[in-house]
Amino acid sequence: MLRIHYSLESEALESISEITAPAELNISMRNKILKIKKGKKLAAGELLAERPSKYGAACSAALSGKATKVNYHHLTIKVDGGEESVEPIDVKSMGPGKELLRTLQELGLNIAALSSHADNLVINGLNPEPGISVAEQLLKDEKETIEAGLKLAESLVNPVHTYLAVAAGSSYGLVGTERVFVKPKYPNSLDALVVKKVTGKEFPDDTKVISVMDLYNLGRVYETGMPITDTIMTIGEKNYRVLFGTPVAHICNELGIDVKSGDKVVLDGPFRGEAVYSLDEGVKKGDYGLFVIPEGTFPSIEDATCINCGECVLSCPARIQPNMLSRYAEYEMFEMAEKYHLHSCFECGLCSFNCTVRRPILQYIRFAKDQLRTSGQAEKA
Amino acid sequence: MTPPVIKAMSDIAVRLTVSPAPHWRSKRTVEKMMQYHLLALVPALLMAFNMFGLPALSTVGTAGAAAVITEVLLLKLQERDVNVDNYTALYEGILFAFLLPAGAPWWMVGCGGALTIVLGRTVFGGFGSNPICAPLVAWAFCRLSWPAAMDIDLNLAHFAINAPLDQLKYFGLDTLEQFDNMDLFLGKQLGGLGASQILGIMAGGIFLVATKWVRIFIPAAFLVGVTVTASIFWMIDPEVYANPIFHLLTGSVMFGAFFLAPDVASSPVGIIPQVLFGLIAGTMVIIIRVYGIYPDGVPFAIMVANLLTPLLDRVRPKPFGGK
Ligand code: SF4
Ligand code: SF4
Repeated sequence: MLRIHYSLESEALESISEITAPAELNISMRNKILKIKKGKKLAAGELLAERPSKYGAACSAALSGKATKVNYHHLTIKVDGGEESVEPIDVKSMGPGKELLRTLQELGLNIAALSSHADNLVINGLNPEPGISVAEQLLKDEKETIEAGLKLAESLVNPVHTYLAVAAGSSYGLVGTERVFVKPKYPNSLDALVVKKVTGKEFPDDTKVISVMDLYNLGRVYETGMPITDTIMTIGEKNYRVLFGTPVAHICNELGIDVKSGDKVVLDGPFRGEAVYSLDEGVKKGDYGLFVIPEGTFPSIEDATCINCGECVLSCPARIQPNMLSRYAEYEMFEMAEKYHLHSCFECGLCSFNCTVRRPILQYIRFAKDQLRTSGQAEKA
Repeated sequence: MTPPVIKAMSDIAVRLTVSPAPHWRSKRTVEKMMQYHLLALVPALLMAFNMFGLPALSTVGTAGAAAVITEVLLLKLQERDVNVDNYTALYEGILFAFLLPAGAPWWMVGCGGALTIVLGRTVFGGFGSNPICAPLVAWAFCRLSWPAAMDIDLNLAHFAINAPLDQLKYFGLDTLEQFDNMDLFLGKQLGGLGASQILGIMAGGIFLVATKWVRIFIPAAFLVGVTVTASIFWMIDPEVYANPIFHLLTGSVMFGAFFLAPDVASSPVGIIPQVLFGLIAGTMVIIIRVYGIYPDGVPFAIMVANLLTPLLDRVRPKPFGGK
């Protein structure tokens, strides 16, 4: 039986296991600019694609192999098992500055939180969603690497205060941080609410927030000089290290997970993650969990009209009116959605979770935000 | 631009379900909500049967059936999905019946059940879009069109007791000595066949609040509004005005608090608007009872509050991070 809960606590954790390397890597190209051609022979760690955004992370091959299939949504690499690999970059000797930032970006890190000064640096040490225990796993096992990452982050941000937000009752800590306890209940793990808890302010300008997962990756780049090509994922009760591009089918094979037609397979968390449409879909950066939801577990989303019951409004931690937002988005009245405080929403998903008629409210909200973003870009161009 | 067609990669043996996040959901559905609401009406219905006999059941049956049949016909006419299996039409038809005297003429009960759907919901776009609580629209229509058929005392003349609110309205405070609070509480009074079964209604209402299908804000604020306003009048002059307990135990106050006022579509959505809504409706009940021409103020009080709903919903907290 699937247990729905909001708890972000994790039980006693074993250590991280490895998922063996697959024979093929499928890498999503959505929102990326491809940098290689079909048929190219690739070394492990070779750059594959960059992001069009200013701070976005580049993406590198996890294993050596050959790019066999390339189209605008996926890149497939046939793994050859070779030892070929790119040379490490000496990150340790670089001083803070533009060059370091660009290098980090190329090595697979998002630098949005690192690229300018802020008075407060908040480290989000909470498990991001119910059923995921990656954050606490890393705090328990990889403290040194995280601390190395923290040093690097501090050298870039120069904060006056550094805080570590962790679950109330836990004993995790990091050198040089002031610990703040947060009640481990979803949605308290979301950045906006963590910052509010730590600083008392909502969306403050002088605060940057970074997750322990990102700090861990930062630390690894600092120590090894190699690009990030894997992620830690909670599958069932345990955490696994999974290479980017590993097809879901491979993970299911390895762990003996049975997936039937009609089931839903979710990468990342149950509240904010993405349902994949094929078992060939590869794991990507930012996926911290894999969930298989058997068919019929939940009543399905429906294209229904809102009955004004108010459940979404009463459950929204951003104190806005998801019922109105979803209606404005439905009828493409995005400016009205903005007037109704679309941008206060931090996408926790509780509105859709509770909606009586099962409207896809969060999807409408994301749609509205996206449309506004693209139309904004169009105006600038 | 035509959106690109996304081809499945290779494995199509397993066809997965895809849907937008969140992938966990509470198990709330309209069907379940209505099933719980119907269940919550059962105690009052049993007590009504005990008090008024078979006419209570036939009235409920007629109104419910008329509502369901009307809904089916109208949905067909509009070429919409016939989703009466979500019980909303049945539920609202029964709510209408609960306001009637047991044994009201069958043709009027049928008309009212149908009107609950036609005037109450369909003209506004169907279930969930009605600005005013649907059974009350039908009730008001019948009350104005066929006052005699709706009259409590007239329909139930074969009972040896009187309708408490009519006594208060037409004969004054002194006549209330004939009523014992315990009797009123146990539904030994004349009134709407379900609405007068105070104990049963309260049991159902508390059940709905406990199972979270009705949020506590509107019922609580409504009852506070009734109690406080009645107490003020009572304290001004206990010789002229009835005491608050009497008001709480008569007419449709409990029924209104737990079943009519929290109607999903016609009540506000936020916490503050819901509390204001309940307080206004509750206060209006007593004002109408004291100054109005109708003995029971509940239906009109709730309808007036319904009209204020869009206004009340403008009372919003500051959004997260908002100025
Ligand atoms: S996802 Fe829904 S509930 Fe969460 S903040 Fe946004 S509007 Fe509110
Ligand atoms: S929970 Fe769903 S049905 Fe209820 S008000 Fe919100 S959007 Fe409308």
